[in-house]
Amino acid sequence: MSESLNTPSVTGEVQPQQMKQKCEHHAECLKVIQAILDDEATEAEKDHFRENIDKCIPCIESYNLEKCIKSSLADKVQKKPCPKNILDTIISKINS
Amino acid sequence: MIVAMSETLIKNEHTDDTRYEIFNREFMPHIDSMYNFAFRLTMDEDDANDLVQDTYLKAFRFIKSFEQGTNAKAWLFRILKNSFINDYRKKSKEPSKVDYQEVETTYNSEEASDTTYTVDLRADAVQELIGDEVANALNILPVDFRTVIILCDIEGFTYEEMAKILDIPIGTVRSRLHRARNLLKEKLRNYASTMGYDS
Repeated sequence: MSESLNTPSVTGEVQPQQMKQKCEHHAECLKVIQAILDDEATEAEKDHFRENIDKCIPCIESYNLEKCIKSSLADKVQKKPCPKNILDTIISKINS
Repeated sequence: MIVAMSETLIKNEHTDDTRYEIFNREFMPHIDSMYNFAFRLTMDEDDANDLVQDTYLKAFRFIKSFEQGTNAKAWLFRILKNSFINDYRKKSKEPSKVDYQEVETTYNSEEASDTTYTVDLRADAVQELIGDEVANALNILPVDFRTVIILCDIEGFTYEEMAKILDIPIGTVRSRLHRARNLLKEKLRNYASTMGYDS
């Protein structure tokens, strides 16, 4: 994924007054945004995303939200180490 | 049989030493991920302990059907998921059992009539949530929706790997993930508003 896909912004040539305040097909856009963030988008979806992301405020907001939720799940949710007694039981059972 | 075997693999005979070597090298490094997956599926420490043990013992028993060089973590997750469905789901202590078909049907019908479905939640508000709040929002999702989010966003599996782990087509992975995320946003929205983080 190119750097521009990771950091959509409203700072390009497009002026704020030209940006879309409403997205008439947002449910579809949301699916594309999620596929982009999962690194699973098709080439056509990537093209569509590149061409349109900086023009639509609801899509930029969704992109930021989805990205934030995804990184919160990856980074903030606590991962516990497997208790040692489980490890010991497994090892003793396969060795018996 | 939990694990699908291809013909070539069935011929694959390992000596005892090789079995232990594969087990230690390929399977043991994933034990923490497996334990966390088991705990988030069962929401019960004792069940999670049993599920991880059962999975590793099955993995050892069926080690001949593991093709070296392929993704051991995905192979183990698939065994664990199958064990969970077959052995634990029926006796799960999870209080609010929601039938998956029921949920999916509801969401399909809602989605048909509500194509502009959005949740009023801002990235800033999510940023403020602590790990326990995010984990709690995840944990109260119905188990099938919880599972796809764990596999994708916590464990980093690809859609193709998820399709194999869950025995569903990639298109279903994608749509289930989409619905799961919409549900998760609703739960996160509730936390954010309780904490006063909403705008």
